[in-house]
Amino acid sequence: MKITFFRYFVRQAMRNMAENRLVHLIGLGTMVIAFLMFDAFILIFVNLNSWTQEQGRSLTMSIYLKGEPERAVIESIKKELLQYPVSITDFISKEDALKSLRKQLGEKAGLLDGLGENPLPASLEIVLSRDVSGDSLPYELKTTLERINGVDEVQYSQEWVEKFQAIMGAVRIIGLVFGGLLFLAALFIITNTVKLTIYSRKDEIEILKLVGATNRFVKIPFLVEGSIQGFLGGSVALIVLFLVYVAIMTKVDLSIGFASLDIIFLSPQFILLLLLMSSIIGFIGSTVSLGRFFRI
Amino acid sequence: MIRLFHVYKSFGSKNPALIDISLTVPKGEFVFVTGPSGAGKTTLLKIIFCAEKPTSGHALVDGRNLMRIKDGELSSLRRRIGVVFQDFKLLPLRTVFENVALSLEVMGVPSSIIRKKVHQTLRYLGLADKEGYYPPQLSGGEQQRIAIARAIVNNPLILLADEPTGNLDYDLTMETMALLKEIHARGTTVIVATHSQELLKGTKRRIIALHKGRMV
Repeated sequence: MKITFFRYFVRQAMRNMAENRLVHLIGLGTMVIAFLMFDAFILIFVNLNSWTQEQGRSLTMSIYLKGEPERAVIESIKKELLQYPVSITDFISKEDALKSLRKQLGEKAGLLDGLGENPLPASLEIVLSRDVSGDSLPYELKTTLERINGVDEVQYSQEWVEKFQAIMGAVRIIGLVFGGLLFLAALFIITNTVKLTIYSRKDEIEILKLVGATNRFVKIPFLVEGSIQGFLGGSVALIVLFLVYVAIMTKVDLSIGFASLDIIFLSPQFILLLLLMSSIIGFIGSTVSLGRFFRI
Repeated sequence: MIRLFHVYKSFGSKNPALIDISLTVPKGEFVFVTGPSGAGKTTLLKIIFCAEKPTSGHALVDGRNLMRIKDGELSSLRRRIGVVFQDFKLLPLRTVFENVALSLEVMGVPSSIIRKKVHQTLRYLGLADKEGYYPPQLSGGEQQRIAIARAIVNNPLILLADEPTGNLDYDLTMETMALLKEIHARGTTVIVATHSQELLKGTKRRIIALHKGRMV
């Protein structure tokens, strides 16, 4: 593209925006609202996703051992575990188990005094250090360990894993559908906004065509304008979202029971991605509305 | 330069706007197209600068078949045709300079050359001191001359003028006609559509008369 043309396109786009300030401000406001809805959704989705993933990452398993475990048994379990992405968090001897049970029972701990022999097994607590959603790893590990002599039983919350996997699946599908719908809504709103600015310059387009402008020459300033507008709308929406986020995080107590729910703002990469997407939506919106206009 | 063969043009179900028009305008001619309102003068001009396509027949302008012209060729053809509209069609939010420069900008002419050519043309039309004004600030006669300036700034082969004196008083009419003749004298093919008999009085130029879409 000739440099003369390029300068013309950018200058023309800026000029159009300045000349049609009101139309542009209305358009920008509409875009900000559309993008804000989309960005807010993304923020919630990203947090929900990372939170559920976090839960999946910390699947705990208990390996119950027979009788008073010998050092050799523990060693062979540890050796077996080396092949898996797990970390051993704790060894709980029979006595430790009883102590912790006493602690849990509190005042009623006296009930345990009647027991002649400690009936609680010793155990190893391990944590799976990887995302196990949609994974058969916990089950594999359970069967392998149970084959070792001296291991009584391996327990983990099968139910929890399955429920978790179902939740993850649902969250992803809902996210995809909802996000897609919001994306389409934003695109639709923006297409119509751009159409407003095009209609406000109908005469100009006609005159340009009559003095011999190619379709491309007429269209490109609108595309540049749409992209700039999309970018501005996207930026303002992100700023508003960030301010709302800060307000919520500082003013509202989000702790639920013992665990406080930490909402993280979008990462810089995500912000860049959203800004790029806003520009692209602006561009596509212009293309679509121009297509309709030039067919008339 | 311009050749029409049995051109028909109809808009929907109404009476056709043009019926069986065949004519040839050689390079460098000055022609009047005349007839009462609704005779088809504007439609004829629109066909020549490709704002309308003939319903049937053939039209050749500068060797291009207008029935089969593509978007790219269309714009390059229009750059060789200057048009002066009855309602001027100036952009009210652009200065006089920018309105005239438009014809060159669409061709991608460098801005230094645009500046030179626009100054030259405005000076030629006596508008040198008006280039920073906006069209609504100017009189009808001045707006008319800006429209002419925009049409001739890129030295077109053909100049079409649709009722160029329709909104002007006698003096300005004579001035405008003198200007068009001067442009013609520089080698441009000129076609002027008018309903004014006054304008045609005593002219030795060819007159194409239209009545209800037919040549008479």
